Amino acid sequence: MPEHLANRIKERRTELGLTQAALAERVGVTRKTVNTVENGVFTPSTLLALKLAESLDVTVERLFWIEE
Amino acid sequence: MTERTISERADYLSRRRARSLPFLAIIYFTQQVTFLSALGNGPHRDVDHFKIGAWVVLSVVLLLALATKGFWLQPKPVRDLIDDESTRANRLDAMRIGFLFACSAALAAYFIAEFQPLTVGEAAHLVLTFGLGAALIRFGFLERRAHRDA
Repeated sequence: MPEHLANRIKERRTELGLTQAALAERVGVTRKTVNTVENGVFTPSTLLALKLAESLDVTVERLFWIEE
Repeated sequence: MTERTISERADYLSRRRARSLPFLAIIYFTQQVTFLSALGNGPHRDVDHFKIGAWVVLSVVLLLALATKGFWLQPKPVRDLIDDESTRANRLDAMRIGFLFACSAALAAYFIAEFQPLTVGEAAHLVLTFGLGAALIRFGFLERRAHRDA
């Protein structure tokens, strides 16, 4: 079965009361990129994954995991 | 220009590009119908030279728009933000598809030339049209999908 990168960006973002646009601004990307990562359409680079985790105040392992 | 303005501007331009790319590709392909139907029919008339000139200009503009960040008249921070990680990934994928289509068009030109003589210009026209057109369509598709909410 193929593996994919799951995430809890939306859950964490909602907890912090952030919109996709606000999170995108924090990370320095467009809302589109946050949208694609959040929806699992785009697998982020390590750099972007770390930035997202830092902006959402969680560890990268808590934010992303491998799912079958 | 504030950070918020830069983000909003980048998002707006990125959406506009995603919407316009498929239409640009259609215009680009439509422009080729006359040329492709007259393939191998001998020397071009003056009006054909004009059309080919227009095609070359459009091809160069589209190629530059695809290969660079585009939006050349926008401030650098906006251009940098539009060209973020997912856009670069989408562009690379579009280039990959464009390369495969260009190779396929080159193979097709090779086989067509076995039955009907083609000039170098005609063969190059085929390769560029299909390579660039396919890359544009793919880039447009990926960008539209990226903007779509789940």
